[in-house]
Amino acid sequence: MRTYPLWAKLLGYGVFCLVLLAVPLFISDDYLLNKFARYLVFGIVALALSISWGYAGILNLGQAVSFGLGSYCMAMALKLRTIPIQTGAEGLPDFMVWNNVKSLPWFWVPFHSYAFAIAAGVLVPVILAFLLGSFVFRARVTGVYVAIITLALLVVVNLVIIDRQRYTGGFNGLTDLEPLELFGVTFDPYAVATYYLIAISLAVALFLGLAVVHSKTGLVMQAIRADETRVRYFGYDVAAYQTFALCLSAGIAGFAGMLYTLVMAFASPTFLAVPISLSIVIWCAVGGRTSLLGSALGAIVVTGVQGSLSDTPAFLETWTLIMGVLFIVVVLFLPRGLISLIDLVPFGRRTDATPARAARRGRVSVR
Amino acid sequence: MIDVFNQIFSGLSIASILLLISLGLAIIYGTVGVINLAHGEFVMLGAYAVWFLESQFGLGLYPCLVLSFFIVGALGWLVERLVIRRLYGRVLDTILATWGLGVILQQAVRLSAGAELRYVKMPEKLSQAVSVFGIDVSSYRLFVLGIAILLLAVTYLLIFRTAFGMRLRGVVQNPEIARCFGVNTSQIYALTFAYGAGLAGVAGALVSPLKSVSPDMGTGYVVDAFMVVVVGGVQSLLGTVASAGILGELSGGLAYLSNDTIAKALVFLGVVVLIRFRPQGLFALRVRRG
Repeated sequence: MRTYPLWAKLLGYGVFCLVLLAVPLFISDDYLLNKFARYLVFGIVALALSISWGYAGILNLGQAVSFGLGSYCMAMALKLRTIPIQTGAEGLPDFMVWNNVKSLPWFWVPFHSYAFAIAAGVLVPVILAFLLGSFVFRARVTGVYVAIITLALLVVVNLVIIDRQRYTGGFNGLTDLEPLELFGVTFDPYAVATYYLIAISLAVALFLGLAVVHSKTGLVMQAIRADETRVRYFGYDVAAYQTFALCLSAGIAGFAGMLYTLVMAFASPTFLAVPISLSIVIWCAVGGRTSLLGSALGAIVVTGVQGSLSDTPAFLETWTLIMGVLFIVVVLFLPRGLISLIDLVPFGRRTDATPARAARRGRVSVR
Repeated sequence: MIDVFNQIFSGLSIASILLLISLGLAIIYGTVGVINLAHGEFVMLGAYAVWFLESQFGLGLYPCLVLSFFIVGALGWLVERLVIRRLYGRVLDTILATWGLGVILQQAVRLSAGAELRYVKMPEKLSQAVSVFGIDVSSYRLFVLGIAILLLAVTYLLIFRTAFGMRLRGVVQNPEIARCFGVNTSQIYALTFAYGAGLAGVAGALVSPLKSVSPDMGTGYVVDAFMVVVVGGVQSLLGTVASAGILGELSGGLAYLSNDTIAKALVFLGVVVLIRFRPQGLFALRVRRG
C-alpha cells in the first residue's frame, strides 16, 4: 500500500473530471452520449457507497434504496407536469386513474414544485438513513448485522413500492415523463445539457467526497473502520460519525437517482431492487472501495463493458457470470480493488511495513 | 374457532419451511462464522435438482429429497474448499464472496436450464387434503412439517450425540485448543458447510412442488432465513426453532389481517427493533465475539 500526497490526488481527480467534460466535444452521437451519462450516474452512486463502506466501514447492501427513492421523487415531479390524456392539464397521473384513485394523495401534492421535489430527492434518503443510522448505530450494532438490516430494508421498501400500485405505479413504475426544464434549459435524456449536468455532478461529488475524507471527520471515520472500540475510548461519538457517513452517502445516492430518472426518462422498482444494489457493491469492490475515484471508475468501466456487450444478448448473460467470478477474485486477492494496482508504479510513500498496517491486517473489520 | 385453527396451521406451515431453510444457515453461521448469502441459491439448486431428476430420469419426489441433499451438499463442500476457506476471519468479505457466488449460481442455472418457470409434480398420495381437528389441511404441508421435524432431530443428534458433533462443538468453542487435541478443524469446517448446504438443498426440494421453480427464487428465502437466525440467536438450535415458529405464525397472522407485503414489512420492522435492543437474539446464551 502506498500513500499519495494530496496534490497528486487532486491532480488525478482533476484530470479525470476534465476528460469527462471533454467527452461531448468528441462524440456527437446522442445515443452514445446518453449511454455514457448513464455510466457516470452509476459512478456517482458507487462513490457514494465508497464513502460509507470504504471509509467508514459500513457495508450498506441497500444502497439502491436511496438511489431508487431519489429517482421516484424526480419522476413524480416530472409525471405531475405531464398532461394526462384522460384528465387533461393538472389532472391525475394516468396510472392513478387506472387504479381508481380519486384525488392526488397528500404526500405527492408538494411534488408540483420542482424545488421541493429536488430537495426531497436528497432529503428523503438522508432522513431515512438518519433514522436507520441513529437507531442502529446507537445500539453499537456493527458489521454483518448492519449489512443484513440494510439488505432487508431494501427488500421491504421494494415490496412496498410494488404493492402500493395506486400511489407508486407498482411494477410498471412511473413512465411517460416530461423532460425536466430548469432555468430555461431542457434536460432531455438525449440532450448534451443532461450529459454536462451529470458530468459536473460527478465532479462535484468527487471533490466533495475528497474534502470530507481528508477532513478531520473523514479521518475519524477511517479510524472507526480500523478499530471502532479504540476510537470510542478516545471519547469520540462513534455512532454520530457512522450516521453522518451513512447520511452523506444516502444523499449523494439520492441525487444520483434523480439524475438517473433524467437519463432513463422513467422510474421503476428495479432501480431499488436487489440486483442493482448488488451491482453497486460489485462496482465499488472491483474499482477499489477505499478510493472514491476507484469506485467511480469501477462503475463506469464495468457498466461500460456491459453496455458495449448489450448488442449481443447471449454474451450479456455470460457477462453476468464473468462479473460474479471477477467479483469473487477481487474479494479474495485484491481487497482494495483494481485501483490498488496503481501501487505498482513506484511513486508515493510505501506504508506496507509499518506495524500499524500489520496490526490492522489482523483486525480489519472482523467484528 | 375453525378460522383460528386454520390460521395456526398456515402459520405452522410457513414456519416449517422457514425452519428448513434457516437451519442450514444457522449451522453454517454458528460454526464456520460465515454469512452465507448464497444460501438462497443452494435452496434454488435443490429445487432444480428435483426438477431435473424428475424430468430427465422420471424419479419421484422421495428419492429426489435424498439426492438433492447430496448434490447440493457436495457443491457446498466444493465452495468451502475453493472460496470460503480463504476468507476465515474476514466476515464482511464472506458476505461479498457468497453474494458473488449467488450471482454465479443463478446465472449458471439461467444459462443451462433456462430462465422460464419450472414446475414439479406433487406426489399423488400427498396432493389431497386430510382432516385434522375438524379442519382440512393439505397433506403435503403436513409432510413438509414432518420432514422439518425429522431433519431437526437428525441435526440435534448429529451435534450432541456423535463424535463428529463433539469435535464440531469443540471447534466452535475454541478452534486453537481443538486443533491442539488433534481435531482437523479445516475438515470440520468443510463438512459443516457441506451439511448446511445439503439442508438447503432438501429445503429447496421440498418447496419445489409448492412454488414455481425459477433461477431467482432464492433471493427472498435468504432474507427470511436471516431474519430467523438473527431473532433466534446464533449457535442456538432451539432458538432457531422457536424463532422460525414465531416468525411463521406472525407473518401468517399479519398476512391474514392485511396482506403478505404489509406482513413482511411489519415483521422486518419488528426484527430491526429486536436487533437494536438484543443483537444477540432472543434465545442466545452468550454473545459470539470475533
